[in-house]
Amino acid sequence: MSTILKVNSINVYYGNIHAIKDISFEVNEGEIVTLIGANGAGKSSALNTITGLLRSKTGSIEFNGENISHTPAYRIVSKGLALVPEGRRIFQQMTVKENLDMGAYTGKDGFEKKLEEVYTQFPRLKEREKQVAGTLSGGEQQMLAMGRALMSSPKLLMLDEPSMGLAPILVEQIFDIISALHKKGTTILLVEQNAQAALAVADRGYVLETGKIVTTGTGDELLNSPAIKKAYLGG
Amino acid sequence: MKFLAYLVSGISLGSIYAIIALGYTMVYGIAKMMNFAHGDVIMVGGYISFIAANYWGLPTVVSIVIAMLVCTMLGIVIEGLAYRPLRSAPSLAVLITAIGVSYFLQNSALLIWGANPKAYTPVVSGTLRLFQGQLSISYVSMVTVAACIIIMIALTLFTSRTRMGKAMRACSEDKGAAQLMGINVNFTISLTFAIGSALAAVAGVLLCSFSPTLMPTTGSMPGIKAFTAAVFGGIGSIPGAFLGGILLGVIESLARGYISTQLSNSIVFAVLIIILLVRPAGLLGKNVQEKV
Ligand SMILES: Nc1ncnc2c1ncn2[C@@H]1O[C@H](COP(=O)(O)OP(=O)(O)OP(=O)(O)O)[C@@H](O)[C@H]1O
Ligand SMILES: [Mg+2]
Repeated sequence: MSTILKVNSINVYYGNIHAIKDISFEVNEGEIVTLIGANGAGKSSALNTITGLLRSKTGSIEFNGENISHTPAYRIVSKGLALVPEGRRIFQQMTVKENLDMGAYTGKDGFEKKLEEVYTQFPRLKEREKQVAGTLSGGEQQMLAMGRALMSSPKLLMLDEPSMGLAPILVEQIFDIISALHKKGTTILLVEQNAQAALAVADRGYVLETGKIVTTGTGDELLNSPAIKKAYLGG
Repeated sequence: MKFLAYLVSGISLGSIYAIIALGYTMVYGIAKMMNFAHGDVIMVGGYISFIAANYWGLPTVVSIVIAMLVCTMLGIVIEGLAYRPLRSAPSLAVLITAIGVSYFLQNSALLIWGANPKAYTPVVSGTLRLFQGQLSISYVSMVTVAACIIIMIALTLFTSRTRMGKAMRACSEDKGAAQLMGINVNFTISLTFAIGSALAAVAGVLLCSFSPTLMPTTGSMPGIKAFTAAVFGGIGSIPGAFLGGILLGVIESLARGYISTQLSNSIVFAVLIIILLVRPAGLLGKNVQEKV
């Protein structure tokens, strides 16, 4: 198993707020790794730093052996790293198809084939192809955000709270899709507040508390750890 | 017949406002800022085409192309030097900078070309007379209206069909998400300024062909009116800028014809204020409602 993403002691600040405190973690090829933690723990900040939207003051981020900590955000996706951001951030005034089109912005060819794959994965998106994205339901918007990220054929897919605000049945569906993507060989870094569901699909997990990694282990280890149960799994 | 004459001149004047308003609205849509120097880029376009045609003796078309090229460069430079460093600054700082750039351009023009008005030679001359000469339409008006319609259609196709145009719309909605897609936001903003400024050059040429006195302040008033037209039509909307510009021109022309030349500007702005009170987002503006 080779390491695909290696985050080395990064520190991220918002003005005076020290949001990420010397965090290191890694993701190996083919794994699902999850980052769990309460509100404000720094999960989104960590993902946004990896994509270059935020900058770390120290350390480095290596993707496929290449240091990307100074790469402009818009060059990240073409290296094979895609983020489904928190709150989806789809382009509300563009159609479903146009959103997917934007997902393939850097891809040179194979658009039709990629589109076909995404539509197979999310048949609902095909039905809604010409609809303006802002009028989709919350669950459909999440599918669109995921489909849009998949359009770039990422080697590593990062998801920031994909289950946020969704009904239990849809949460289950989203996690099924994550497992399916994993089976097809996509490496996944999953950020969740729904620790139960995330740990159930994950190979390994890291627990983040106020900007620090406090625990790490395999999905099962964390699921069964009394401390984690108490703090994140409702006893 | 008088009414028809006022209407025709209003539509052609409005077409110029519309071309300027398209520049305002595109820049606003993407950079989320009011580029108050836009009107002065028009003036620069006027001077460059004037110099190319009258001093260098170049053919009209070539002088227009040169004016467009110079203004395109100017737009890119203004954005890069004055606005880009303020990308994350408060919008008031950006606004003040834009006003500063506007004065800078006007005073540079004063220094280079002097305060004396130049007599601009219209790019097309001649007039079409209809109904035994009761209604006359200058060829400049026709060219202006045609240019405006072509520009509007071209911009609409560009933003809806091309990869770059869609990227622009993506940037206008969410710059962070656009970057995640691999879109170079700085480049996209530069491109928007380039297009807007090229349009300003065209507007400058047409404006000076209409009222052939060219001065360093030539762009200010049309700039302000076109800005209002853009807001009136719904800022950020391409058809809105078109509609706003035309309506503004027609209202101005009718007010001038039937009420008073001196009062025409006041009447135009009064109408605008009333419409904006009723429809704060402008005629075609979206009251954006976002799903959370
Ligand atoms: N733009 C910002 N400006 C200032 N502080 C911020 C900003 N964004 C995040 N923070 C702070 O940084 C810390 C980490 O925030 P982050 O969004 O990364 O948390 P999170 O783990 O993703 O939380 P959630 O589960 O609520 O999404 C928080 O204390 C937050 O208040
Ligand atoms: Mg978050």
